Amino acid sequence: MPVSHPDIPALLEAVRLFLRDAEGALEGRLAFHARVAGNVVGIIARELAHQPDRAEAEALAPWGGAKALCEGLRSGRISPGDPALLAALRTAAMARLAVDNPRYPTLARLAEGTGAPPAAGG
Amino acid sequence: MTETPPLDPASPEGRRAIAAVLARAGHAGVEVVRATALSGGASSATWRLDLADGRQAIFQRTASAAAAGLSRAVQAEVARRASRLGVPVAPLLAVPAPEDGLGDSAITGHVAGEALAPRWLRDEAFAGARARLADQCARALARLHAAPLATWAGLGLGGGSGVELLDQMFATYLRLAVDVPAFDLAFAWLRPRMPRTPPSCLVHGDFRSGNFLVGPEGLAAVLDWELAHLSVPGEDLGWLCVQAWRFGNWRLPVGGFATREALLAAYRAAGGVVDDRDLWTWEVFGNLRWGMSCLQLADDHVSGRLPSVERAAIGRRVSEVAADLVFAIERGCL
Repeated sequence: MPVSHPDIPALLEAVRLFLRDAEGALEGRLAFHARVAGNVVGIIARELAHQPDRAEAEALAPWGGAKALCEGLRSGRISPGDPALLAALRTAAMARLAVDNPRYPTLARLAEGTGAPPAAGG
Repeated sequence: MTETPPLDPASPEGRRAIAAVLARAGHAGVEVVRATALSGGASSATWRLDLADGRQAIFQRTASAAAAGLSRAVQAEVARRASRLGVPVAPLLAVPAPEDGLGDSAITGHVAGEALAPRWLRDEAFAGARARLADQCARALARLHAAPLATWAGLGLGGGSGVELLDQMFATYLRLAVDVPAFDLAFAWLRPRMPRTPPSCLVHGDFRSGNFLVGPEGLAAVLDWELAHLSVPGEDLGWLCVQAWRFGNWRLPVGGFATREALLAAYRAAGGVVDDRDLWTWEVFGNLRWGMSCLQLADDHVSGRLPSVERAAIGRRVSEVAADLVFAIERGCL
């Protein structure tokens, strides 16, 4: 569908390209911060596309969500050895990592043997 | 903080102040020609000093008054005593006094070597150094850990049993008032497993790839003693195995350059004593501790205390640690 204005992903892509140019023109700490900022723009784009909050909420719903789960682990009501809990936390961790750092080696290692795809985005 | 900001070491006033400190410490007639900023880490900043006689030195300053670590004077004394045990450290030249206007800082001799771990981990020129590094790290730690507690008397060092250190970290986590399920999982998993024995030795507290100066012959100096405290050997050994210092080389869990088996064999050959299961507990503890640093650095930005794109981005590294903790607890390895 043609649009008359750039959508959010198009704007983010523009900022990403600018930061790449800026990094090349800067030195030292500022160049490093330009690279970090470019990575942040990548995180924003992937988060909009994949919505890891929703994946985490679904995975942790049987325990009443993240807050209730944390409270249960703090009080000792929930055991850290529960295999169903570990599987759910694995799903939630993978959804977040696919957004925050899809190239992190532990993401592919977590996917091994679980039948899950290694990463949701690039 | 309403204190006047410390002198810029690169300014003429800063260089004169450094020269005066060096003169007081017995290095009279030294002129500082140039001070070049090398790095601005999250907790400290470093300058290389070019002296008029052609020598070089290093000026390091704690970045913020809110830093949690030891003062530079105490760090320097810990490093000096460690050096007498045979641990390689940068030689201390002088510690500025508060009235010198240079902030909490120290001046050490320049030691040739590469400080950037990704460089010495990947560069072919360091292949020989990497092959020796596990042995050298194990020997340095075994010597440090073998020293009786009295070695460190009079420095006011903190510390505690494993379970006490975990409790302190948990209190910090609660203060941050965030809910990270994988972190609560790790706290709950660690609580019954942490050692309850009192401290038996000094640990460096931040013994990792990023705090080594590596030359062609391997370990040239162990840097950054600001987190030294009293604990048990497993804490240093486990911290060295934390995922974040492997820089992607996860198949070599010891800092991205060696296997755990190689480290432990060399540590035991040098007289060190550590239990395999304790080491694994401390490795999980270390990963959680790195995750806590990510949360705290992110909080600096989110709270508005120290707005920074770098700190904001580090906050998203919490996802890396969460994945590592779930992997470690589910599979018993990392």
